[in-house]
Amino acid sequence: MNASAKTKPRFSSDLPQVWIGIALIAITGFGPSIMGNAYWVHTFQLVNIYIAVAIFQNFLFVDAGQKSFGQGVILGLGAYVAAIFFGLHEYSFAVAGLIGLFAAFLGGLLFALPALRVQYFHLGFVTLSAAIVFPQLLMSMDKWTNGINGISVSIPWIHEEPIAGISLLSFLVALYPMLALGIHYAIRRSRLGRQLRIAAVSPEAARTLGIRPGVMRFLAFIIAAIGTGVAGLLYLPTVSFVSPQGFNVELSFVFFFAVVVGGRGQMLGPIVGMWIVFILPNILLAQFVEYRLLIYGILTLVTVMLFPDGIVGTIERWRVTRGVTGRGEQGFRLDSFIDGLEGEDEHKPTDKIAVEVRGGTKRFGAVVAVNNVDLSVRQGEVHGLIGANGSGKTSLLNVLSGLSRLNAGSFLIDGKDATRMSADRIANMGLGRTFQTPRIFREFSLWENLKIGMDAAEGEPGRDIVKLANALEAEFSQDSAELLSHGQRRLAEVMRAMLKEAKIILFDEPAAGLSQSEREHFAKLVHFLSRKMGKTIILVEHDLDLVWNVADRITVMEQGSVVASGEPEEMAKDPAVQHMFVGGRLA
Amino acid sequence: MLSEIIIIVVRGIAIGSIFAMIAMSFNIVHGATGILNFAQGNMLVLGGYAAFFLANNVGIGWWLAMLVVTGVLVAVVLAFQGWITLLPLRSSVEQDSWIISTVAVSVIVGAILLITQGPFAYSVQAVVPPFRILGVRTPGAYGLAIVCMLFWFFAMRIFLRKSFLGLAISALSQDFDAARAAGLPVRRLQLVAFAISGLMIGTAGFLVAPVISVSSDAGLRYVLNGFVAAVVGGIGSNLGTLIGGPLVGVITMLTAYRIGGAYQDLASLAVLVAILMVRPQGLFGRTSARRV
Amino acid sequence: MLDVKNLYAGYGIVPVIEDVSLSVQSGEILLVGGENGAGKSTLMRAIAGFNKPDKGEIVLDGKPLQGMAPEAIAKAGLRLVLDGHRVFPELSVYDNLRMGAAARPGERAGFAKAVDEIYEVFPILKEKHRAYARDLSGGQQQMLALGQAFVAQPKVLLCDEPSMGLAQALLPPILAFLRRWAESGTAVIIVEQHLKVTAPYADRAMIIERGTVKFSCAANELDEKLKADEVNEAFA
Repeated sequence: MNASAKTKPRFSSDLPQVWIGIALIAITGFGPSIMGNAYWVHTFQLVNIYIAVAIFQNFLFVDAGQKSFGQGVILGLGAYVAAIFFGLHEYSFAVAGLIGLFAAFLGGLLFALPALRVQYFHLGFVTLSAAIVFPQLLMSMDKWTNGINGISVSIPWIHEEPIAGISLLSFLVALYPMLALGIHYAIRRSRLGRQLRIAAVSPEAARTLGIRPGVMRFLAFIIAAIGTGVAGLLYLPTVSFVSPQGFNVELSFVFFFAVVVGGRGQMLGPIVGMWIVFILPNILLAQFVEYRLLIYGILTLVTVMLFPDGIVGTIERWRVTRGVTGRGEQGFRLDSFIDGLEGEDEHKPTDKIAVEVRGGTKRFGAVVAVNNVDLSVRQGEVHGLIGANGSGKTSLLNVLSGLSRLNAGSFLIDGKDATRMSADRIANMGLGRTFQTPRIFREFSLWENLKIGMDAAEGEPGRDIVKLANALEAEFSQDSAELLSHGQRRLAEVMRAMLKEAKIILFDEPAAGLSQSEREHFAKLVHFLSRKMGKTIILVEHDLDLVWNVADRITVMEQGSVVASGEPEEMAKDPAVQHMFVGGRLA
Repeated sequence: MLSEIIIIVVRGIAIGSIFAMIAMSFNIVHGATGILNFAQGNMLVLGGYAAFFLANNVGIGWWLAMLVVTGVLVAVVLAFQGWITLLPLRSSVEQDSWIISTVAVSVIVGAILLITQGPFAYSVQAVVPPFRILGVRTPGAYGLAIVCMLFWFFAMRIFLRKSFLGLAISALSQDFDAARAAGLPVRRLQLVAFAISGLMIGTAGFLVAPVISVSSDAGLRYVLNGFVAAVVGGIGSNLGTLIGGPLVGVITMLTAYRIGGAYQDLASLAVLVAILMVRPQGLFGRTSARRV
Repeated sequence: MLDVKNLYAGYGIVPVIEDVSLSVQSGEILLVGGENGAGKSTLMRAIAGFNKPDKGEIVLDGKPLQGMAPEAIAKAGLRLVLDGHRVFPELSVYDNLRMGAAARPGERAGFAKAVDEIYEVFPILKEKHRAYARDLSGGQQQMLALGQAFVAQPKVLLCDEPSMGLAQALLPPILAFLRRWAESGTAVIIVEQHLKVTAPYADRAMIIERGTVKFSCAANELDEKLKADEVNEAFA
């Protein structure tokens, strides 16, 4: 198992990209100093600061899915406020820097607060208007900012050259983007990083994993603001001067465009992108300086049209399509993991009620999807929920997991009224679910797709779970989840819910698209979850054989209403169930 | 004092009418495509430039003819932009490339205007004479702005509810897949929506040219105020823009008079953040009731 | 009329249906059954152009359709009625029918006649012709969705789960309408889970399992075939 994992090509090229990026920054950051070329020293000091800003923009853009056109404002707030306190009021650089950083944080808060409520283009407009307003304010609040004249600062000690002609400043501005790259990579690999990404790609799935997408967006803006604010502090000694014109909208566009041109989401993207977007018009075409904006715009437009993945992204895509890893039909099997799970039954359905719906009604316009439903599910039981397509089963699951709200009636989870609870709260109470259309994230390896369940677990994982997780990691950490069939995607979600260690699990047609033997494995798994681990399970499924095989109780829905409910044996004789059998087989 | 209030209210509503028209021109494209065109402000300014070059100091007959010409020209430009914007969406999995491409187009249009026309604002002669409201002299273009807003509001209402083309565009915004299954030529309808938004914004820019800033860098400020108007009213609701536009107009005008002209955009930003925090769906916005 | 040969299609890089062939002649109804997740909807959507087939041919009246956009396929005379009684909620019933005319070949004169026919079959639509579609019940919305397709007078009609979300009792009148429609010379494919109710209205049937054709047979043999199949599997 391990041997095969080692020979697989890597699923993600993030780490090599980080190392290449660090090398590139080192070369451009130290090379000119060693060669003694003052012009390029200065140019690359600025470029490397901008790269750091673009790295945080990249993080915000792709890892958190937020488009900001105002990162120049954050950079400017850090630099300008530090300049005001250092240059005009003669505070020490350390104190002025801290105040500048705080200002950048406040700027980030301006973006982050609306992010709690809205996303998508709304925040694009908020950040863009901040980018427009910022230079206007710098001009008009001239009492504090010195207006159009700007502020000059001088910090002699930072330009001293301790070794090899490399000044302290050169060190700092080269190390900082390297650090930013490392931070970006570390966040991406962390639980927080995965949760940010899930919230960005599928807010719905995020909520069922106990994640609040608004909070995730908020955090992302704050992280980016602090990272960008530090870059602002480095900007000050590098340029030695701040003025309103230096922080106009154009600057914010440069950061955004650099990420797009370089390759959204790629670790190397901001570096390559910034070289092209900044160096090309400003240095190579310096005599056409008035065409700068036009060049930015056209470069970006052409990139979006022809290479939507950007330069690094296009190369990466080529690498991935050549060496896709994953094993198609056999890509995700449960049997080898389930075989180790055999053992004595330890649990039985209890008399406690885990889930109770009282007179629940859910309407969509004039269509009643769930009609005055009463349902109670005992703790530890497997409860089959069956009925024709469109009979309201999935709508009921959506209500129970908090994704949609009842128009009338109420429901309780573990005795607590959860009718008006948000999905993330319900998830954190120990409810997990799978979807009919599985939420599989192609940005993640197959293992990471499972691990996000563990990320959402409350408390420390149990011994069995850790053992299972280690086995899964060894097997699937370099596999792409994109190659899985729909049936196997559903299984992956089942495993995710298991790793979440949810007490109550809702399965939405988990067996659809599975083969007969996969179904048997699944039935075993349900049995294990229920009897060995004591989970409460609500199983929406069309394979009636499977349902009769594993369920302790069965409820039949028709037209949004419950038409029958009871033990499997008695239900098999119920007329409401009889007509679901076609040609002897359960359709 | 009283006259100041009248000036603030009348001019605020008039400026707000421009924002409302930008918002309405957002709505039709957004409904048909899900796209909000960041370049829309530049398109308004293009209408202003057209007024300067085609219809400065001319007779009323020629002026009216040029109004139509400008509308058509901007409609063509926008249809072309729409075509470009929709191209990558055909294949790409990533459905938000439009944010990048419309911002890029906005930058490109601004840059071209800057290179060819310079950084200064053009002043366009008014054709409609000033008039008095409650004794306060008001430039004619302010009146035109309000009339133009009302005209487009009712024109869109009839178009979207009565004509086959308009109904088809509404259908597109309600259920894209069902529209395709029904055989509606979606791509063509989307381009028509872009063109109509161009017709709207081009004529608006032409009419209000004497009172807006016809300069290469003004577009972004107008698009933002238009967006704020759209959000206040509720994105997708033309009725909402009739409230949202003038409201934002009066607030910015009040800010200009009381605090200073440089703080107008700050005021819009504050309104935007406030409404997004308190009522993100806007005054008339419906929380989407589509089934999952 | 419609010939589908060795079709492969899916979403992204994973095929959902593999090597599916089917054909349907004008005047007949083909019933497509199978479990949820077997690929029935994907098959319908692939034929109608919503997802591009990876391989295979779709031929309507000798004209290949694969690779065409859904709206162009609708214009060519193949009309898919999506599952879940999807109509335009903010349009009136009558305007919903008007939208159906977009795929109508040539003349507009027949439109009024087609609407009258629909009103005759489903009088409730006439009664509510000014109401917004969102204010209809699920069953009425399904009638409207079918009416919208009827107005276009397609050569081939694909109908994805007409029963979804409807009371069982509503299904027979809808199927009877589809039967009459087929007999007027249209080729009809119905995807349905209620095989027992639907089979009597169909001519042929086909069962899809895990993306491939399990078997096809005459509609009146379906029940027996399924039973036999069940027995076979039990002994397998």
